[in-house]
Parts: sequence; structure tokens; C-alpha cells
Amino acid sequence: MNANLPSITGFGSVSPFGATAGLLSGLEVEPEPIAAWPNATLRRAYQVQPFNPAKLVPGVKTRRLDRLSCWALVAASLALQDAGVNLDTIDRSRVAVLFASGFGCVELTESFYRSAALNGWTGTDPITFPETLANAPACHVALFHGLRGPNLTLGGENFAAEIALLRAASLLRHGQADRAIVIAGDALSPAVYQWYETAGLLSPACFVSDPPARSADFVPSEGVAALLLESGLSTERRGYAQFAGGRYARSGDSAQAIRHLFPSVPSLVFSAGNGGPCSCDPPAGVFRSCAGQAFSSQSFSRNDARIVASLPVADGLARSGGLFHLLLALSRRPGSGSALMLGTAAGGAFAALRLEVPSS
Amino acid sequence: MILPDPEKTIAVTAIGVVSPYGLGSAALEAGLLAGKSCLAPAADLFPGFSGHVARVASLPDVENPHRYSRSDRLAMAAAEDACAGLPRELLRQSGIVMATTVAGLTEIEPAIAVDPAAWYREAGLARAATYPISRVAASVGEHLGIEGPACAVSVACASGAIALALAANMLLDGEVPLALAGGSDALSAFTASGFHSLQALDPSPCRPFDKSRQGLNLGEGAAVLVLETLAHARSRGAEALAILRGWAMTNDAYHSTAPDTEGKGLASAMRLAMEMAGTGIDEIGYVNAHGTGTPLNDIAETRCYELVFRGRSTPIPVSSTKSYIGHCLGAAGALEAAITILAMRRSALLPTLRLADPIESQDIEYLRGAWRSQDIPAAMSVSAGFGGSNAALVFGSVDA
Repeated sequence: MNANLPSITGFGSVSPFGATAGLLSGLEVEPEPIAAWPNATLRRAYQVQPFNPAKLVPGVKTRRLDRLSCWALVAASLALQDAGVNLDTIDRSRVAVLFASGFGCVELTESFYRSAALNGWTGTDPITFPETLANAPACHVALFHGLRGPNLTLGGENFAAEIALLRAASLLRHGQADRAIVIAGDALSPAVYQWYETAGLLSPACFVSDPPARSADFVPSEGVAALLLESGLSTERRGYAQFAGGRYARSGDSAQAIRHLFPSVPSLVFSAGNGGPCSCDPPAGVFRSCAGQAFSSQSFSRNDARIVASLPVADGLARSGGLFHLLLALSRRPGSGSALMLGTAAGGAFAALRLEVPSS
Repeated sequence: MILPDPEKTIAVTAIGVVSPYGLGSAALEAGLLAGKSCLAPAADLFPGFSGHVARVASLPDVENPHRYSRSDRLAMAAAEDACAGLPRELLRQSGIVMATTVAGLTEIEPAIAVDPAAWYREAGLARAATYPISRVAASVGEHLGIEGPACAVSVACASGAIALALAANMLLDGEVPLALAGGSDALSAFTASGFHSLQALDPSPCRPFDKSRQGLNLGEGAAVLVLETLAHARSRGAEALAILRGWAMTNDAYHSTAPDTEGKGLASAMRLAMEMAGTGIDEIGYVNAHGTGTPLNDIAETRCYELVFRGRSTPIPVSSTKSYIGHCLGAAGALEAAITILAMRRSALLPTLRLADPIESQDIEYLRGAWRSQDIPAAMSVSAGFGGSNAALVFGSVDA
């Protein structure tokens, strides 16, 4: 372990597995029929089931928030709980909040459009408008916990979560914060789901009856994962993993980027899927095409590399699933050592992260 | 002032702009120095709209225009303007950090929320595909053949300044040799309706920092700054237009839309940026304010400047250039950074237009009337936004 690297000391999540502090267990979940959209044709997705946030986060008020802001607030709070951080004892101006999303507050954006359709543009709701902004979830986390450090909302074509994690580590490295809560995820809405369906990207498993002739293997998902990244920890409190940096690019030589990150062969490879609603490479394929180029598949097999496949429930969080992929990989107790988390996407886009996973 | 290690000094080596004055920083500079207001009535933005806006009259043609939103096209034009003359290979390796709040909302209509399937049948999928905030950065990458990392920033009206701060961090981290950083937002019925519903719009041309101010006017535009380390700029013989000496980001944690009435969060960002820059309060020669013209923002900002600059030998010169080009939302911080650099390079203290009766303060000189010639070795651009986010950028001249 390297004392100079920031550590992931807490996880929180609101996902189809429920609202959870720490790692997940019982990783079996199936897409469920979407009952929340009464006018829509019945379809299936991996969904977050309704829950009472106040039972998990004392004092939290979420009545006026959309689901994404609510989940971000709960997941961030659970990550802080999991890390055992008492905010009353630390300088809250030194805590950053970074939120990554593919579609932002799309539910309230649709609601705002709906009000414009019904009442005209002069009859829209002033309460809803500020909550449509993409940074509303990060704002609510800062407001509830009194966090006055940098507050950022970020996006990326495929790897918004990975980008947020890298930027968080950069803030810590440059002394612009001591701790960073990194949050990533999305909520499904009728217009987003319908876009996938019209584009022919949905898996036959999404259709309650009569799947169309043209289909793919994508099952949309929703939820939010959060982690706490802290710098300067003592060796006895080092958390789930240390974050040792990464690279991402729109296109380019992922193998070269991986070699830059790993002077020697990594012990573990976590697949972070394709970052988009398209067919996900099996992890072995990801390994061969990218990691294999960097180190050759022979050296990997000699070192008994363990490859942790991505799960469809995280693949379904197109664009923002990176933290959820990481949480699911660590929840499967993959072993210890240097880990490569790798996502690849169309056009040669990739995100490669290096983590140091301690022995449990 | 002594510049630190050139490897750790961030230089601005090019500025690309699309503003209501037109394409290019020369048009922006000429318009500002002429004191020309771009604000005009825009009843056609949506039925019932009676506000003033600042519009970009025309945009360069692009291939496959149906694939891009107006915010994308503003960004693509500004980025192309910034990158003229850059070696293709260097551009390919560069990073992109682009801010937006509107992104593709310009391309989507209310009917999408009533019957999405019918709307997609009618309008196609491409228009809705411009909705994610990431599309603006990706469009710049596609347009210019950039393969490096592309990051989208959406932190309300502080977005553009935050994009520059994050790009500076990326350069110090050695992630990219050069970064294109900025912001782009187009006028849209969605945002106009939102600010209209909040009663935040001044139906007349806005009057930031005037006692009679009534609200903001919306604008549109994009600015992209080319950032690289000073050492990298020198190695390729590029002229540094200015040095980004300090940057900081904070949050008020006060209210979801209203600023901290005492301006403490923004003051904290300004102090941190000055600390990073190694500048004292007497060394800052000009502040390009957030200055929206809303009653709440401008009084909070005034309190903030009093907190930060009290004790200066002379009142701090402050103006809001939103009085020229409106509030360009996610692009505002980048456009105002560009304007701050132009003001430094022209030694021009730009006034706030239509400022007749400024908020009283012993610590602040709210600039008005004609522009004034004055050497500005260091200047600050500040931004704030819904959600309580603040950003401050300190620029220094290359010679200082």
C-alpha cells in the first residue's frame, strides 16, 4: 500500500439491490415490469424500488426532490456512514462533492416539458425549473451536509463516473480538498427508455410480451453509487481500495495507457462494460483486446489474473455505471493486489483505472 | 510578481469566441470597447415572452447539422476559432473540458413528454441524442479530430469558469499536453421559460449593480481557451496571451437557488484563488463580476467584494459585462474569462452599461460611463450559480 494514494473508505448505493451502506451481498436481481409509467406500454428494467429515505438518513427531507437527487443524497450519506466520518469533527469546506450522470435530472426535465405542453411556456412551474439543472443532486448533498468545498457535476460520452473519480483524485492531489464524495448514476424516465426502444437497443428480456424482431441485449437500469475518497490516511484505516489514477480518452491506444498505469501485470481485471447501450464484450474479450495487448495473454495467465465480469445491472446504467461496476466488483471479494478497471466503448474510447485492493 | 516553475504555470495561448458580436475575439473586443449592447427584444423566443436577449446572428455551416444542437455548434465554432494554427498531431492528443447547462434542450419540444414514441417518430432520434451534457464536448472532439479525454461540466452558471479550473488541474497532472476548455450555451425556450417562471428576467435591458436593477437578460455564445503549461507553450514557440495564476471552487451550502446573502462562499473562492496566485488584494486591478442584475445576486456579490477587498489602498474596479451580451449561463464563465484577458491586454477597464445609480460601497468602484485606460497586471473573473457553486479565476499578464 502507498500512503500517498487516496483511499476509498466508504460506499453507499441506491440501486435495484436496495439502499445499502458498504459492499453489496446477494447479487441476484432480475428486471421487473415498470409499473410507474401508467400510460406506457409495459416493459421491464432493473429498477430502484421505493423506500423511505428518512429511515436511512435521519433528518433528510426529500419530498420536493426528484428520484435522482434523492438517491444521490441517500447514497452519499450512506457512504459517509460507511466510512465512519463524523462531519462535525472535520472542516466541511475541505470536502468536495462530485456527481456524474449521463442524463441528469431527466425526470423533472420531462415534467417541465409536460407543464409547457399543457400550460404553454408561460405557465411552467418555478419550483421545478431549478431542480431540472444537472447539478441539483450535488447541490442537495452539499446543502444537507453543509459541504462547502468544490461542488462539481460532470459528464462524459461513456465514462462519466470514471471521469468524476479521476477529477476527485486530482482535487485531493492539488490540495483543493481533503475528502471527496463521488456519486454517479441515473434514473430512468419514459423518454429515455423509449429512445432505447425506438433505437432497437432493448433486449427481448425487456418485453413483457411480443418482443420485436429487431432487438439487442441491453436492459436499462437505474440507481446511484457513491464512494468517499480520502487522502492522507493512516495505515490502519485504509478502506476498500486505494485509487492510483487512470486514463480515459475518446479514442486511442488503450494498451499503451494501461502499460503506463501498470509497470507490471495487474493481479485483477474488473470489466466496466461498454459505457453505453450496446452489446457488452464478455470480460475475456475486453481482456484480450486491451489488457492482453498491453501485457500479452500469456503473462496474464502465468500470473493467474482474475477477471471480474461486469453484471448486466451495471451495464444498464449507460454512461454513468462506473462506480456501480467498481462496487459490484469489490463486493465479489475478488482477491487483492493491483486491479485494472477497464471500460471500452465504440470508436476506441476507453477508461482505465488502477486500484490497489488490500487483502481482506 | 515572479512566475513559478514554467512546468507548473498555466498559460492561455489562444482564445476562440462566438458571441452576439459575431465570430472571433476581435469582434468581441471591438464591440466591448465601442460600448455596444447586443440586447434586443425577443418576443419570438416563445409566445408571451417579453424579455431582451442577446443572440448570435449566424453560425458557420457544419456537415450533418441534424446531429448537433445549437449549443454544440456554438462550441464547435469557438473551438475551431481557438485552434486555428495548432499542429494537427498536438490537437489530436489534446483534452477537452466543455461546460454547458442547456446542451440539446434547444432541439427538444414539449411534445416529447406527452408521447415520446410519437415525438421520436416525428422528429427522429438524433435531436434527442443531443440532450446529454456530454454531447457538447464530444461534438468539439468529433469536429476537430481530438482523441484525448473529453469531459463535460454542468455546474449551472459557474460551469464555464469551473471548466477552466479543471482543465488547469489536468495539465498540472500531466494528463494532456494541451487542453481546450470553455463553455457553450444557446438560447432556448426551456431556460427562458424557467427564468421567466422565477420572475428573474428584466423585461428591459439589464442594469447590473444598479439600485433599480430588476433581473437578468439571457444571452448565448461560446468561448474556448487553449491552455497549456508555459513550458509547453515556449517549447512550441506559442505566444502566451495571459497566465492563469490561480483558481478555486467552493459551494455556499446555503440555498438551492439563492446566494449566501453575505457572499461568504464566493469570497472564500476569491481568497483561495488569490492565495494560489500569490497576489494580494492591491495587486488585482479589475474584477469581471458575475453581475447578473438580479436583486439577490448583486447585493450578495457587493457584500462579497467588501469582505475580500476591504483594506485596499483604492476601491476595487468592478464591472459586469453581462450588460453587453446578456447572461450566457454555462458559457458565461468562459466568455468572461476571455473578456478579462482582453481587458488586461488592452489595458481597458470596461464599464457596466446602463449603470446610473450604483449600489453604494466604499470598497468598490463600480465602473460606468466610458471605458478607461489603465494598466491591469492581474485581474479576476468570478462566477456563481444555482446550487451555491462559486468559482474564481485569477489571470496575470505574461510580463508581470
